[in-house]
Amino acid sequence: MLEMFEYDFMQRAFIAGMIIATLASISGTFVVLRHYSMISETLAHSALVGVAVGLVAGFNPLWMAVLVAIISAWLIEYLRSEFSLYSDAVLAILLSGSLAIAVIIVSLGGAFNNSLFSYLFGSILSVSIEDVYTISIFGTIALTSLLLFSKELYFIAYDEEVAKVSGIKVRLLNFLLVSVVAVIIALSIRVVGSLLIGALMVIPTISALQFKVGFLKTIIISLVIALLSVGSGMTLSFYFSLPSGATIVLCVLTIFIVSLLINRK
Amino acid sequence: MKFKIPIFDIKNLNFSVKGQKVLSNISLEIFSSEYIAIIGPNGGGKTTLIRMLLGLEKPTSGEIKIFGKKLNDFKEWYKIGFVPQRASHVDSSFPATVLDIVKMGRSSQKTIFSSFGEQDRALVHDAMVKMDVLDLKDKMIGTLSGGQRQRVMIARALASKPEILILDEPNTGVDMASQKRFYALLRTLNQEEKITIVFITHDVGVIADDIARLFTINQKAIICNNPKQTLSCEEMSTLYGIDAHLLHNHKHEH
Repeated sequence: MLEMFEYDFMQRAFIAGMIIATLASISGTFVVLRHYSMISETLAHSALVGVAVGLVAGFNPLWMAVLVAIISAWLIEYLRSEFSLYSDAVLAILLSGSLAIAVIIVSLGGAFNNSLFSYLFGSILSVSIEDVYTISIFGTIALTSLLLFSKELYFIAYDEEVAKVSGIKVRLLNFLLVSVVAVIIALSIRVVGSLLIGALMVIPTISALQFKVGFLKTIIISLVIALLSVGSGMTLSFYFSLPSGATIVLCVLTIFIVSLLINRK
Repeated sequence: MKFKIPIFDIKNLNFSVKGQKVLSNISLEIFSSEYIAIIGPNGGGKTTLIRMLLGLEKPTSGEIKIFGKKLNDFKEWYKIGFVPQRASHVDSSFPATVLDIVKMGRSSQKTIFSSFGEQDRALVHDAMVKMDVLDLKDKMIGTLSGGQRQRVMIARALASKPEILILDEPNTGVDMASQKRFYALLRTLNQEEKITIVFITHDVGVIADDIARLFTINQKAIICNNPKQTLSCEEMSTLYGIDAHLLHNHKHEH
């Protein structure tokens, strides 16, 4: 078991993975409770546009992913609040639109290669020490911003209208939530991949909800499930030479099925 | 009865949606410690009026003052407790205990750097005691009956220490026994805690003894200062007509 930690790249991947599990599961709890699960998929694809621009134009793909994901998050929130559009329809439109733009940019730039592939499905081999620092610093900032307003966001998730009447700045906090989620997703796609990060954000919370416990316990269970999934997924991917992102997702899905079965009425 | 402090002062309020009038020229005042009921047919504009009072809808024209301030300048929203129509219907899978829900009532008064302190705990505890839900504090909200949920929602509103409670048909889906208990609790809040109560309902008969004034809204507002008398007279049926008229409007001593 400890053999895999003899490799530097595995140590880096493991640290980055654990940080991402923490960020994705905690922010995912708020996303799921807002009935906003699909936003993680959409933002992951928007982040891919940033990666494509970065790869073609020679900028840092991670920073471009963060930038484009934040712009996309604001656009989603703006369209949702200003126009009579169904939230899920807005997300579906931006998801397919983003993917199309990313593929066109990369094709035109002739950069449809392994670099993009690693952002699509995640690659533990590609995690550098700089990536670990970036994920740690900006992930901590994003998560702290979210936790400072956790009481208000929880109230909004339960009843947006009553929260607004009680004086909570609902619109501002909605923008904060989607911005934080955008940052976390963009930071995560190097390890888990843009096609798979949504699963890590949503499934731990859905699994935790099966236990029917209060808010704090739900967050803790979700966090434990995410850490277990990433830990076991990376271990399995190392020993069986499996793709890391997909293995992590299969692990979290297995835990979800178990939590469904043990909490069956 | 003497009422001194105006809480809501509404003047010539109009609201239209796509050219269709929903509310027409509504003027009314709600005073401190009053217990009033708002009745009217479905689609008559009761909920729209309340949504405007709470800043959730903007009037087409007219003026609303809360505690003497224009709606846009009013910031002390914690003074207003709101229990919406769907209070007794909750998402059964939402991860919230009764305590989690009641604590939400303190959220708007906390800054990002202030934690949940002794005073908050005491207010949450008091609100649960008043609404008789202390024994349920660790229960999941989704497992409670309609009547219990209703009391929890009012406890949440009370936790912010409001001066006025606005309840929008909170009895939907609640059994008769729970409703009676609920009315008794509202009476206590009004008489002993001096909390102003605005109750929107279809069934005003059951609280006729408690309420001081009755507003009937059907595009226009009819204000009645003697609810029991109005309710027993034949003219009650005309209240639900399209073009209503002022029945009573005795001036209060302010």
